[in-house]
Amino acid sequence: MSTLYKARGKEAAAGTVPRAPKKGFNGKRLLLRLLVPAILVGVWWALSASPSTGLFIANPLKAVLRIGQDFLSTDPSTFFLGKATYEHLLPSLGRAMAGLGLATAAGVAAGIALGSLPVAAALFQPLIHLGRSLPSPALLGVFFLLFGTGDAPKIFLIAFGVVWPILFNTIDGVNSIGHQRLQAATVFKIRPFDVLFHVILPGASPKIFAGLRTSLSLSLIIMIISELQKSKNGLGYLLVTTQRTFDYTNFWAILIVLGFLGVTLNFLFHIAERRVLAWHRGATQQHD
Amino acid sequence: MTSATSTEQAIELELQSVSKSYGKNLAVKSITASIPQGKVSVIVGPSGCGKSTLLRIISGLDFPTQGSVTFNGAPVRGVPEGLAMVFQDYSRSLFPWMRVDRNIGFPLRHISADERRQRVQEAIDAVGLKGKEKLYPWQMSGGMQQRAAIARALASHPKLLLMDEPYASVDAQTRADLEDLLLDIHATLGVTVLVVTHDIDESIYLADHVIALSAPPSVVAETVEVDLPRPRNQISTKQDPRFVELRAHVTSLLRSH
Repeated sequence: MSTLYKARGKEAAAGTVPRAPKKGFNGKRLLLRLLVPAILVGVWWALSASPSTGLFIANPLKAVLRIGQDFLSTDPSTFFLGKATYEHLLPSLGRAMAGLGLATAAGVAAGIALGSLPVAAALFQPLIHLGRSLPSPALLGVFFLLFGTGDAPKIFLIAFGVVWPILFNTIDGVNSIGHQRLQAATVFKIRPFDVLFHVILPGASPKIFAGLRTSLSLSLIIMIISELQKSKNGLGYLLVTTQRTFDYTNFWAILIVLGFLGVTLNFLFHIAERRVLAWHRGATQQHD
Repeated sequence: MTSATSTEQAIELELQSVSKSYGKNLAVKSITASIPQGKVSVIVGPSGCGKSTLLRIISGLDFPTQGSVTFNGAPVRGVPEGLAMVFQDYSRSLFPWMRVDRNIGFPLRHISADERRQRVQEAIDAVGLKGKEKLYPWQMSGGMQQRAAIARALASHPKLLLMDEPYASVDAQTRADLEDLLLDIHATLGVTVLVVTHDIDESIYLADHVIALSAPPSVVAETVEVDLPRPRNQISTKQDPRFVELRAHVTSLLRSH
């Protein structure tokens, strides 16, 4: 797939790919968008100042400053990242991405197999529905038993939890490629390898990306859950320990970090999707 | 004025009492026909008469329930070498994630990059898509997309070009242009062409001979030799009294069966 999209940037610059018209800067819209967050921060501040709730709700400014202290640093040799980033944030993120990567590989491979072979799909459908319906956090204990207490059970739990949207969407995507395109591939004697990587994968990619988007958010949720027990580090571990030590400023700081992490990952995903699926946006705009 | 009789012609493709049924439903009933080399043959018949089924059988995508298909003397089992196809719906047979040149060159991945580039360029020139190489199919009009689909078929240098209702989804003007394009290509390359259509005018305008099918279960009503001179012209050919006569004849064939 990579060779297929390699030249996109250069050719898009030549103006052959239509782009959405650029929206000019709109001050009113910006104000409108910032209004609700501003109110929320205000309410937060008020609650943190109140004697009854202030015990558990930290001052937002203090929480943000705490992020600066723990997660960032002034040291260029650590890329301006603090101790907590290396000890907790990056290990968490690494496990989430490893789980997501594993789930993507397995989900896409199995999805293509099941999507191409109706018999296999029928055979495995009950199993898939069972797997999908199981709340994956319930299996945490099973994964600890199977894989010990290191990174492995967490990564496998994340993979197990997020594989379903990818699997279902890939099956759907394979079915959406269309009979005629596959017939064309047959008539022109396209090699199976090329059919897989240049017809089936790109043809199913819009749906695969839709599944990935869901799985990305889900992977962060399960990442936290997997770190609540038998953990030595990670953001989930920090959430538990800070509550136990009544360090609520730190607790709220971690929540902010988590929010920031989710938004950043979604943003990066959005950029990747726009690049890879540029053709799909154009094609669907055309037919509407 | 009369074209060479089919007995003197080399036969490219031969159908021997081909029939196809889906369960109890007999779609095609015992079709026997010969497609001569280097000529344009058109199968014409009413909607639902199994034309597309027949084309799928010829291309090896489907198998006859009875009878046999022979291409260049060898029985067809699976898609034979030297056969290319233009599908009815360009928007569903081209790959929207590939630019035009890649769509055309994709079936040629087994040959060297230089030769592939040359063949793609020749095919693009032949169908009049010069300058559109880097567009995506969906950035072009329906007629241009069908040109790209024709170019993709030509780039593989086929002996036999199959076309399944190739102009059914374009407007009348584009249709006329594409009909003339096909006649041009045929005159230049001498490739054997087999078109399936439900349009009687189109069948006579394009063909050296027309194979008229009856309503299902389909049989060959008659094979009509079209002795109109080439090159043909949308206006003068269609005004030719012989054209009018042939059209009336084919129309009556489709009606009476």
